[in-house]
Order: sequence, then structure tokens, then C-alpha cells
Amino acid sequence: MEATGLRKTYPGKDGDVEAVRGVDLAVRTGEVFGFLGPNGAGKSTTVRMLTTLLTITSGTATVAGLDVAREPDAVRRKIGVALQEAGLDERQTGRELLTLQARLFGSSAAEAKDIAQRQLELVELVDAGDRVIKGYSGGMKRRLDLATALVHEPEVLFLDEPTTGLDPASRLTVWDEVRRINGRGTTVFLTTQYLEEADQLCDRLAIIDGGRIVLEGTPSDLKADLRQREGGDPTLDDVFLDATGRTRTKVAGEVAEVQA
Amino acid sequence: MRQTLLLAQRALREARRTPDALAPTLLIPLFFLVVNVGQAGRIFPGKSTPFLHGQSYAGFQLPSSLLLAGSFGAAALFLVEDIEKGYFDRLRAAPVSRVAIVMSRLLAESVKALVLTAVMIAISLLLGVRIATGVGGFLLLLLLTAAWAVVYAGFMQLIALKTRSSAATQSGGLVFFPLLFLTPSFAPRSMLTRPMEVAASCNPVTYIMEGMRTLVLGGGEWHRVALAFGVVAATGALMLALNVRLVRRYD
Repeated sequence: MEATGLRKTYPGKDGDVEAVRGVDLAVRTGEVFGFLGPNGAGKSTTVRMLTTLLTITSGTATVAGLDVAREPDAVRRKIGVALQEAGLDERQTGRELLTLQARLFGSSAAEAKDIAQRQLELVELVDAGDRVIKGYSGGMKRRLDLATALVHEPEVLFLDEPTTGLDPASRLTVWDEVRRINGRGTTVFLTTQYLEEADQLCDRLAIIDGGRIVLEGTPSDLKADLRQREGGDPTLDDVFLDATGRTRTKVAGEVAEVQA
Repeated sequence: MRQTLLLAQRALREARRTPDALAPTLLIPLFFLVVNVGQAGRIFPGKSTPFLHGQSYAGFQLPSSLLLAGSFGAAALFLVEDIEKGYFDRLRAAPVSRVAIVMSRLLAESVKALVLTAVMIAISLLLGVRIATGVGGFLLLLLLTAAWAVVYAGFMQLIALKTRSSAATQSGGLVFFPLLFLTPSFAPRSMLTRPMEVAASCNPVTYIMEGMRTLVLGGGEWHRVALAFGVVAATGALMLALNVRLVRRYD
């Protein structure tokens, strides 16, 4: 996956607002790539452009070797997407949702039934599979969301803040899932606000701030670099605060009003 | 087409699981039918009112209630819920045709409208209404109501896609009330005051209502039925084209 000069602007009341200002990224096949940044930094906007959900104002992006702007449908066949809001139809059962998703990707009715069963087993939701999703807990919904993103065995999986709002136990379950998925060879592009999550899961990461990439590298290299400059035993939190110019008491950013 | 059918099945499953959303679409139009007939039934006695062709006033009022039943736009309310809850984006991130996303909801809406219309007509038979044009007329009445439901749901889906807000979409549904009342809903167009007659003549719903009345009351004015189908076909094509345009540009 590669992005060059990726930019997104929205019309605002006082002129255009730049949500993403020329992002360059290169994600290697088979790695877990973390995309970190404070609120409003441009993480979700970047993910939405890479997953064909938002048009790209300028710049180029390829995912699984396919141009996102020119071949969006081909890209959609290669990617799995689990966004911040679990995209579930809560009036369906887990099994119905998975079956429908598999059928929308072209599986026959019999194949889709098998895939749904397999996915339910993978995320340990077989017992709840025939219940409507509305009654699921937050962790169950997140696991089902992940399973739905995987029905077509995508080459690249996008996870936008997959553990936000989950309790610690559910968070650990999702981490295990991500490791298992990546272990099968799937490239994972993960945004998160939890630096411990990035430290635990990511082979490499990039930090975005104000719509621009401000730092990129492996978690250990980034920590080693800061240790060399500042001394001590820095954590990824320290790396993040150093890269974004924030302190532990100043975390609020400016908010610009935009129109969709 | 395959994706449209798959998503339409899902929409019908959703409707089955939310009977509380379906009930008002049946009960409110029936309420208006009973109330309107109660208020004006004695003014227009069936035996001495030429435009009723020997039927009771309930037959004259049935088309208004059928049009009201087809104007709840539930498809759009479910669509905006998909948008707000993220399922719409899940579909957009999959290789699903944008046309299938909007068409499937309209297809499901037409199926629901066929069932609801059949139930409403069955109940109106108990109130003494007779479909003067027989089984063929009954089937045309079903089709016309279902086609209108698709047109109106299409209109509300435009609001849903544009505003992405359930509150705005629900408010959009209220547009139907001026559309319904600027029609010859209580008496034929020829009996309206001049300004009201002009307003009703400019309203496409008038022609659908008049076509439906021909099917219920008889009178042989088949050109009115043809005109009604022409109006739903034209407005339906317009709504479909606008829906497709909007969903393709959705960003």
C-alpha cells in the first residue's frame, strides 16, 4: 500500500479546510502498520480515502497494487474494513449479517452459509449467532464487525480505532484477533489512540498531526531515537508527545468547522 | 440485480422485525378514512350523488387513505439509520453497486406497500366499499399504490442521502400533507373553488388520486387511470435518477 501527497479538503464557512495535507505512506505486505495521531489529526479521513469511502482531493494512493481513485471496485474486493462505528445492522442476527456480506462479495448461498459458520467459530460467537445483534455486548459487536470485514479473506485489513470504548478484557481479545489475522498473511492498517496498543501490535507506525505525517518508524527505533536525544527510558507515549509537540497538560487542538 | 434482491430481502426482514414501524402506516390511513367518511358521508349520499356512481362516500375517500398509506417513506427512515449507524459505509466499502443500495430499499418498499394496500382494501370492503372495476381494477389499484409508495420513498431517500439526518428525513415526510390536501380529496375537482382547482390541477397527486377513484368507483374514465400510471412512471423515473445521482456522488 502506498500513498503519495494524499490531500483532502472540505468546504468550510471561511474557505476550504484541509483535513489531510499531503500524506506520504508506504506499508509493506504482511505487516501491522499503526497510524497514530491526536483527535482531528486526519487519521480517519486518511483511512476513508484509502478505503474508497471518500474522494481524494489530490495525490495518489494504491492499495494491494490497485489505484484507489481509478479502480475503486477492484480495491473493495481486496480490502476489509472495520471503522470506528461498528457497521452492523442490529436488526439482523450475526449469522444473517455474515451470510449477506459473503453473498454481496459473490459467494453462493451454500458457500455463504459455510463462511458465516466459520467466521462465527473464529470470533467465538457461535452461541450468539442466531440472536439479533441489538442484544450483543460492545465486545461481541466489535468481534462480529471484524468477522464481517474478513468474510472474503481480504489482502489488506483496515481497522479504525478497533478497541475504542471496549473494556480491557475485550480489548485483549481484539488484539489476539488482530495478531491471528496478521499471522495468516493479511496486511493490517490500524489507527488507534492507545499507544500501548500500537506498541503491542504494530511492526511499524506513523504519527499524523495537523494532517501531516510527523514521524515514522518501528516502535523500538522511535523510542531509541528519543532516548538518544533526551535520555531516560522513554515510552511510546513520550515519543507521541514529542512528535506532536504536545505536553501532558496541553492536548486540545483547534477545531475547524467543516461542511460535508 | 442479484445484489438488489439480496439487499431487498434484508430490508423486508428488517420490516418484519419492526412491526411497530409498520402499524402506523395501516392504522393512521384507516383512521382518516373512518373520520372523513363520518364527517362528509351524509353530505354526499351514495344514491343521489352522481360522482359516487352509486357507491358510498367511503369509496371516494379510499384513494386518499391509500395515498397516505404509501407516503410514510419507511425506506428512507431505515436508510438514514444505516447511514447514522455505519452500515451504509460497510456496504459502500464492499463491491456493492451504488444503484443496488438505493434500489433495494425501494423494491422492498413496493412489496410492503402491496401487502398493506391489500389489507387496507380488504378492511374497506367491510366498510361497504366495492371495487367497481373488479379483480383487474383491484390489481391495478395495488400496483398504483405501490408505485406511489416507491415515488414517495424515493423522494424521502433524497432527503436522507443529502442530510444524513433522521430528524431532517422525518420532517421531509410532512411534505405529503400539503400535497394530499391540495387535491380534490373531499369532492371532485369541478366542485372546488377556482383557486383550489388551479392548485389541485398543478399537483401530480391529484391525477393519481383521480385514477384510483376511477378504479374504485367505476365510471369508465380509463384515460384517468392511464394518466395516473403516467404520472407515477414519470415521477418514479425522476426520483430514481436523482437517487442514483446522489448515491454515486455520496462522499
